Amino acid sequence: MTISNVSRRNFLKTAGLATGGLVISVALPMNALAEKGIIKDSGDELNAFIHLAENGDTIIYCGRCEMGQGISTALPSAVADEMEADWQRVTVKQGDADEKYGPQATGGSASIRVMYQPMREAGATAKAMLIAAAAKVWKTSAENCFAQAHFVINKTNQQKLAYGELASIAANMPVPEKPVLKKKSDFNYIGKELPRHDQAAVVVGKRIYGVDTKLPGLKYAAMIHCPVLGGALKSLDKTEALKMKGVIDVIEIPRFNIPFGSIGGVAVVADNSWTAQQAVKKLIIAWDLGENAIYDTKEYKQQLVKNVEKPATLAAERGDIEQAFGAAKHKMSATYTGGHLSHAPMEPNASVVWVQKDSCEVWASTQSPADIQKVLGQYLKREPKDIVVHVAMAGGAFGRKFKCDYVHEAAVLSEKTGVPIQLTWTREEDMRTGYYHSINAQHIEASMDEQGNVTGWLHRAAFPSISTLFDPSLVRTPANSLEDITNHLFGIENCRVESGDAKAHTRIGWYRAVYAIFYGFAFSTFADELAYKAGKDPLSFVNQLFDNNKNKEQQANVKRAKDILAIAADKSGWGNRKSLPKGQAIGLAVHYSFQSFVAMAVHVEVNGDDIKVLNVDCAIDCGQVLNLDGATAQMEGAVVMGMSLALSTEITFREGAVVNSNFHDYPVMRITDMPNVRVHIPDSDESPTGLGEPGVAPFAPALSNAVFAASGKRYRDLPFKPMSV
Amino acid sequence: MKQSMIINGKAHEITVDGDMPLLWFLRDNLEFTGTKFGCGSGLCGACTVHVDGQAIRSCITPVSTLVDKKITTIEGLSEKGDHPLQKAWLNNNVPQCGYCQAGQIMNAASLLAVNAAPTEAEIDTAMQGNICRCGTYQRIKKAIVEAADTLSKEV
Repeated sequence: MTISNVSRRNFLKTAGLATGGLVISVALPMNALAEKGIIKDSGDELNAFIHLAENGDTIIYCGRCEMGQGISTALPSAVADEMEADWQRVTVKQGDADEKYGPQATGGSASIRVMYQPMREAGATAKAMLIAAAAKVWKTSAENCFAQAHFVINKTNQQKLAYGELASIAANMPVPEKPVLKKKSDFNYIGKELPRHDQAAVVVGKRIYGVDTKLPGLKYAAMIHCPVLGGALKSLDKTEALKMKGVIDVIEIPRFNIPFGSIGGVAVVADNSWTAQQAVKKLIIAWDLGENAIYDTKEYKQQLVKNVEKPATLAAERGDIEQAFGAAKHKMSATYTGGHLSHAPMEPNASVVWVQKDSCEVWASTQSPADIQKVLGQYLKREPKDIVVHVAMAGGAFGRKFKCDYVHEAAVLSEKTGVPIQLTWTREEDMRTGYYHSINAQHIEASMDEQGNVTGWLHRAAFPSISTLFDPSLVRTPANSLEDITNHLFGIENCRVESGDAKAHTRIGWYRAVYAIFYGFAFSTFADELAYKAGKDPLSFVNQLFDNNKNKEQQANVKRAKDILAIAADKSGWGNRKSLPKGQAIGLAVHYSFQSFVAMAVHVEVNGDDIKVLNVDCAIDCGQVLNLDGATAQMEGAVVMGMSLALSTEITFREGAVVNSNFHDYPVMRITDMPNVRVHIPDSDESPTGLGEPGVAPFAPALSNAVFAASGKRYRDLPFKPMSV
Repeated sequence: MKQSMIINGKAHEITVDGDMPLLWFLRDNLEFTGTKFGCGSGLCGACTVHVDGQAIRSCITPVSTLVDKKITTIEGLSEKGDHPLQKAWLNNNVPQCGYCQAGQIMNAASLLAVNAAPTEAEIDTAMQGNICRCGTYQRIKKAIVEAADTLSKEV
């Protein structure tokens, strides 16, 4: 296969495969990505591939990682739509780690936002070349031909040529400079309810996840990690473990002190996972716990509250809040908190790594294959490109599998034993050795005038930030991580944002919706509290807050936020809420994050301390929807995750270590609590944006507002009902 | 004397220590990977299989207790992947990541085998031991109701 150089003007290119057929790759200029803030540098081109075989079978590669969010259906369906391919003839394949697929790191709800246009252009290019091929065969003009369902059709005589027949001829056609994209009214798949490509395999147990990888000669490992960040092994007695039948070796894994490296621990390699797990229990280990052994989340959270209830470090300021507060008719303040969260995907961290003298091959559930290449390359002192990473289907990830410490550990074990190793973490290790969502506190003080206009807003936030992964010396969250406060769409003329001290004592990481979880909670809950203070209807009050935004650059977004909130409220029966039975109420929240707008109306029934969520009306504006069913599913899932973190899930540390261990003391939501979720997606012509994360943020505040309306009890701390562990 | 169990209609000699949970015998020794490891403590249901038609958690069931028993895993639930639950799962596009779904389907199949027309409350009770972290519960309920409906028409 040869790939010719790509000029930036041409944008798209082709290459004939040795086996025949047509291969289209889309060159995605890095500088375009840099402009969008996706990557830092501009440089070479990147590609994604379509392979149309001579029998018509079509493979579309997905370069982004699949973890259940449906991206490996959504993006290929955009290609197929523009290509006029018959989806039944399309096989989706997951791309291995390779620059040619463009940025593969899958997070920030960015996949569709970044890849939608290039994927459509790739499809449109293939179609144009197939039409050109048919026109050549028929000795007619391209204008006299059209494509439909894997055929090119001659308008004059209705003759048909199948895509497969045209593939090799098309491979020699010139690449159109600017492929013409379809009109929205002509879409076959985009915006429709297309089933996921892999569902049939899932329901018969044939979908292969990272943890399912099998290789000849594979050995299995389990491990225990140092319970405290920065601790180290003091002594190890492995006698009893080594006596067990089937145990091959006990191997110490020292901490690899880079952001996604192992925290350090001891592993057992055995003939099977069970034996390895049992042998780990027989290890007698003493740890030197180090300075983070002081970490106690109960005390730490109280300290964060103190740090936001006093002046902190200025992060951003506009207007003059002192003057606003001085002239206030009403003043109000509140403090909100939240705990650490563990992602707890159903598939614990797992991968297979085989390190050989001149090769290293990885099979992993991952959100960031390039980081595996980087970390393993650094550990093995090899070039990242020499680390072959097969991207497996992840059994859930939610941000956890962006970090490849578990892959690094498998690499250590394979390097030391010389055989392919499957390391599967136990649930206990998965829960205790995380990259946790930040524990947090926020304090807001606001002033209002007589008409209930918010005139001043002081917002202090304290949480150990993700930045501490890369710079552990940080004592507080840097100002740029607080920009979502400063740039919130509420119209607040006088605003001051401060960062309270919050040093990290554990590893902090991206968790589905990230900081939007607690920003969304504080903004939408506090707005509701202000509405009651001002004696106003909460929906009118929030609309007034939006209307007071005079920033010209934000007007379009303000309108979209208001519109989507109106839909959620309307669908929930907000207007008739006074007629609900006693103990029932509806709460509203809207949050803009990851460039999408999500509003929720949560209908609850409160009986004493018992909170039952009956209905959730969720309205979303993510621009043009790619897969209607996928978008709906993402919102249903966001409600469930939002409900877990609003009501029950929290990771507790004592003496530096996580106390929780499994689902009995980390009670994620179960089917018994599932409300009726209705998802409303208005038609939109705006550019598409992602939905993996934005749905999580509005749930907790909408719930807090609903419970208050129903019972007069205000919940300001996440989770509302922590389990004592 | 050699001991065995019947898995999806075929006898398999038990070649591992008796205290090994069925889950690991299936996954690591026989390479039936459709049955998933989620918690190792019977708390999440991802490892659900049938023993003589009844749903059990394979992660806490030692193979020594399963001599001569009939085990059904997701791979053996139906010959062609066309159990009414499997069809209803596809029809409702239930799975997101899909990792828990083998356990969900096996647990639901066990429910429908004894209660062909479960109420919503009965579905909740039967399915509360199966966690889905992606949050597909609403569709799971709908699919079970749909499958029950299909089954009632078959009779």
